[in-house]
Amino acid sequence: MDDMDDIDDIIAEIAVDNTPAETRDLQDLTRCWVAERIAPEMLAWPHDVVDRVLERIRRQIELVEDQTGSMDPKTNFKLIVVQTELERFKFLVRGFLRARLKKIDAHPLYILAQHNDSSRSGDLNPLLSPSEYQYLTTHQSLLSAHYKSSFLGQFPASLQRLDDTTGGVNMIDRPDEDAAVFVRCLKDVGDLAIEGTGSSVDIKRGDVWVVRWSAVRRWVEAGDLEVI
Amino acid sequence: MYGETGFKLVQAAKREQALAHLPPYQTELVRATTREVRDLDKDVASILEPFAGSFNPSSEPAVACGLLTNHLCMRRNKRCLLAYHRTRTDKLDEMCWGGIDVLERQQQQVNRAGGGEGGAMGGEGGSNSNGSSLSPEEEEYVRQYSDLLAAYKGQWTDVDLTGSLEPPKDLFIDVRVLKDAGEIQTEYGAITLTKNSQFYVRQGDVERLIQQGYLQRLS
Repeated sequence: MDDMDDIDDIIAEIAVDNTPAETRDLQDLTRCWVAERIAPEMLAWPHDVVDRVLERIRRQIELVEDQTGSMDPKTNFKLIVVQTELERFKFLVRGFLRARLKKIDAHPLYILAQHNDSSRSGDLNPLLSPSEYQYLTTHQSLLSAHYKSSFLGQFPASLQRLDDTTGGVNMIDRPDEDAAVFVRCLKDVGDLAIEGTGSSVDIKRGDVWVVRWSAVRRWVEAGDLEVI
Repeated sequence: MYGETGFKLVQAAKREQALAHLPPYQTELVRATTREVRDLDKDVASILEPFAGSFNPSSEPAVACGLLTNHLCMRRNKRCLLAYHRTRTDKLDEMCWGGIDVLERQQQQVNRAGGGEGGAMGGEGGSNSNGSSLSPEEEEYVRQYSDLLAAYKGQWTDVDLTGSLEPPKDLFIDVRVLKDAGEIQTEYGAITLTKNSQFYVRQGDVERLIQQGYLQRLS
């Protein structure tokens, strides 16, 4: 029972909007980082969070640079605290970006198709940031050039493609959308039907469930559920 | 036998996954597999030739079956080749991320093999003439991938993307110098890193040097 209360506290804290902006940025960033590492699919690029955090990092670095050299032990101590915080922020951003790159490298063609869909439909949050898009396309063209010069170039023309879907095997690898994830409910979702099993679960605020990703993807993207 | 060289390639790929270094590129196997695909394609063409474009699979089940086998073998060989090359490029990517200069290391290997055993060269050179374990195509790939990586990292200068993925616990750490690394600049002045000396430094300042093996972290 005690555990349950703890979680309720945390959720209540998140819901109240009077937390200072700094704390909220950190919370958002941490949530993005956790979600990106756990969700089997690529999540939309949270440009506002990243922009805010990068701005903070830049200001902190400036502050550190300004104040080093001061001999006052008090400032020195403060600087150490600031720098420690800075290292942690950097770690989160780094982990977040690397998690995304890893997914890009694992399923490039699938993600590229998804990204094109999202940017065509005029979505405000495209799947990839511009530099990630550039990384993906450049890496992909490097790889295909490499394959081509190594062996594909000598293949019969009908077999040279890398995104062939004929012949019973789809060459475009997809992430496992049915992988299990832990989710915590932030808002009442109600009955959630799990496709293919015929069963449904009633998800209430504060609940923690293990479900397949494809069943909860919509609510995670909307922010009603969070992966943990 | 059909597919045998492809199978060997996949076995090699599987083995490479567990190794820390990159074994020599299987030029011969790759060539043999590619040749097999071309031969099979020629077979298909010659089987289809007498039908002059009006082949009906249901009237000639035996021929259709032969064609199917050829097709599947070609596709399988393609998958094997792709798997082999992908495993290797993944490994190369990983090395680039780890800050290992792959090309330089290859160069060193070549030099060692060439310079060290001057007299015994003749007998050794059979398997791999230039001593490098990368194919020329792979070397080109590594060069371009490092450029790509540098370009992407350049947009995140404040964060240092190749840094450690372990959560930072302490701002300052104890390190021991394993190899002379010259002088480095920190906010607290310059430090000269001479072999076997020990320092208490900011982790962010020496991260790269630890990765490159100049320093060892003391816990």
